[in-house]
Amino acid sequence: MAAALLLLSGRAEAQTQRPAPRPAATRPADTGFRLRGFGEAGLRLFAASETFKAVLGSASGPIFGGGVEALWGRHLGVSVDVGRYQAIGERVFVSNGEVFQLGLETNVSVVPIAVTASYRFPRPRSAVTPFVGGGLNWHRYTETSAFAAAGEDVSATFTGFHAVGGAEWRVSRLVAVGGIGRWLSVRDALGAEPTSVAAAFGEHDLGGFEAKVRLIIGR
Amino acid sequence: MPFKTSNTHMPAPIRTILVAAICTAGVIGVPSLLAQRSLAELGGRLVGEYPLSAIDVGLRAQDPPRPPRTAESTYLSGSIVVKFRAGTSTNARRAMASSVGGDVSAALSNADFEIVRLNGGDDAEQMAARLSAQPDVDYAQARYRVWPMYAPNDPLYSLQWNFPAIDMERAWDINPGASAAITVAVLDSGVAFRSAILRQTAIAWRREDGVVLPALGALDIPFAAAPDLAGPDRFVAPRDFIWEDVLPFDFDGHGTHVAGTVGQLTNNNVGVAGMAFNVRIMPVKVIDGQWDLVFDSPFVGTDDTVARGVRYAVDNGAKVINMSIGRSGPPAPVVEAAIRYAVSRGAFVAVAAGNEFLREPAPQRLAEFGPSVEGMVAVGAVGRDKVRAVYSSVGPFIELMAPGGDFTRGGASSGVLQQTLNLDLVETYTGTVGQYRAPRFDSFGYYYFTGTSMATPHVSGFAALLMQQGITSPAAIEAIMKQFATDLGSPGRDDEYGHGLINPRAALRGMGLAK
Repeated sequence: MAAALLLLSGRAEAQTQRPAPRPAATRPADTGFRLRGFGEAGLRLFAASETFKAVLGSASGPIFGGGVEALWGRHLGVSVDVGRYQAIGERVFVSNGEVFQLGLETNVSVVPIAVTASYRFPRPRSAVTPFVGGGLNWHRYTETSAFAAAGEDVSATFTGFHAVGGAEWRVSRLVAVGGIGRWLSVRDALGAEPTSVAAAFGEHDLGGFEAKVRLIIGR
Repeated sequence: MPFKTSNTHMPAPIRTILVAAICTAGVIGVPSLLAQRSLAELGGRLVGEYPLSAIDVGLRAQDPPRPPRTAESTYLSGSIVVKFRAGTSTNARRAMASSVGGDVSAALSNADFEIVRLNGGDDAEQMAARLSAQPDVDYAQARYRVWPMYAPNDPLYSLQWNFPAIDMERAWDINPGASAAITVAVLDSGVAFRSAILRQTAIAWRREDGVVLPALGALDIPFAAAPDLAGPDRFVAPRDFIWEDVLPFDFDGHGTHVAGTVGQLTNNNVGVAGMAFNVRIMPVKVIDGQWDLVFDSPFVGTDDTVARGVRYAVDNGAKVINMSIGRSGPPAPVVEAAIRYAVSRGAFVAVAAGNEFLREPAPQRLAEFGPSVEGMVAVGAVGRDKVRAVYSSVGPFIELMAPGGDFTRGGASSGVLQQTLNLDLVETYTGTVGQYRAPRFDSFGYYYFTGTSMATPHVSGFAALLMQQGITSPAAIEAIMKQFATDLGSPGRDDEYGHGLINPRAALRGMGLAK
């Protein structure tokens, strides 16, 4: 009986269909102007590491922000991004490298605004696009402390430059995620005041290094 | 009958009615108290407690200014200070002492040195020089006399220009007077720290003007704690190196005034303010007043006495040591060694820079090594206008300035006002022989004094505030004081103003990241 069933049945075939070959990942048109937005979160490591460690307890901290990016063709891009780093520490005294905490609260915020020109390296049949770039930045530095009199808090803007590298992975037609490393130099921003911690450690650069994750909305 | 010469203040006017009334009340009250406790029960000078309250005669602005007290270079005859090299045997020490015709006296407490007694006719400086040449002797010196540095005058917080001059009101906003965790030792003529009756014998003596004052015999003398200084647990580990006991009563008024600048009770609706008004005070008596001499104290204020006081203070928990004392003359290695010891044990030391500018441009021997000791500061004085006081010494040893007052610019109210003993009842030897009588130390008033003595406790109080704020290293305290000082005189450090006028508020705020 089984043999008869086998002889009478047709040739067995798999009951699934192989999907049609995927078209190349959906990419924006290789020509033309595109505008997209992004949000970022990451870690900032300050070049003035001893200074930040003395006052704020750590030379690094989280930074959040976002921006917009304009793309031309397959390779060129220009972005503007704004971030914000904020931390609370205490005023100190530094003597021969030893730090004495004075128990007076101080609030530090750094708001970098950066304009970056980038060159992209799209690869055929790949959703990952590496890029490199560089640009100018402006750092708004604010420091407020307990018992400050008029003129004793700090609010100033410093200019610097940066270099950036990373890659983005297109998840869908309108969404991509990226990983970015950015090195920033903001020279002669700290240490001008002789009775500052930065002057005590001889650290003058407000820049440093950032490692961030970026969520991109747009083509 | 032995009598002693003295270095006295200028005679002061006598407040006959008030003083007579106070003395009469005291004389009537004291004998009845004597019957309660016998001398044998209490031992030594202490007869008993004095139950009457201290008398506050208020602001004494009517007294004429007294001239600045200057430090003469004198030394005791008959003995010297010797520091033998570590490991030198007892026999070797005796042999070296014998080589200068002397012998080693019994060991002293709080001392890493010895006193060598000399034959009566030998000059102490010459014998010290001979012993210093010995290879087993680290140093030897005469027992130079040490003096307080002040000029008294008279009184209430609006009259204390010295605190606004260094922005103390804003400093107190940051640190309101430190705390009882910090102890400041006042090495001085003693402090009016408690009530008591002491039995002392007044011998005949010759005043500086040649008048011989007669012996007064055995006296029961009342003492009271300064009302605007004393409080529960305010005073710790009192020690007297002039009388070798634990009763460092102020027979002069200088020490109590200095202690007032350090820690006068503040915000108590009484009298005047002090720098670090919550600290504990350690009274350590290391210099004598006139009455100590009249009462024939076993010791007087010499380098070795001061050195023992410094060591005692730090060994008993003092974190700040105030030395409103000084002298000119040869160096003081015994004091320098003691101060280095104290700093190495975590104590900050403030020393008066001296009032010798008008007299002679000589270095102040207890202050001159300040720049070489990180954690010790030599303090000069400015007047009300923040210009160097006319008497304040100058030299490479000047490190910081603080308010010390200057009567030549602004008159009597240009001194530093604090509470101290009623000097009319203390300096009872300044009038005629018929007016000479026993002192009493249970009456107080507010007086203007001037001198680097008055400047120095500002720095000591400042150090106490910094310690409370979190800076526990004496070297760091000195560094922050200098870094935030207000530059005066020539830009940068100079011999007249040192690093400048202390700025407690700026130092207490410390450093920010960028400013």
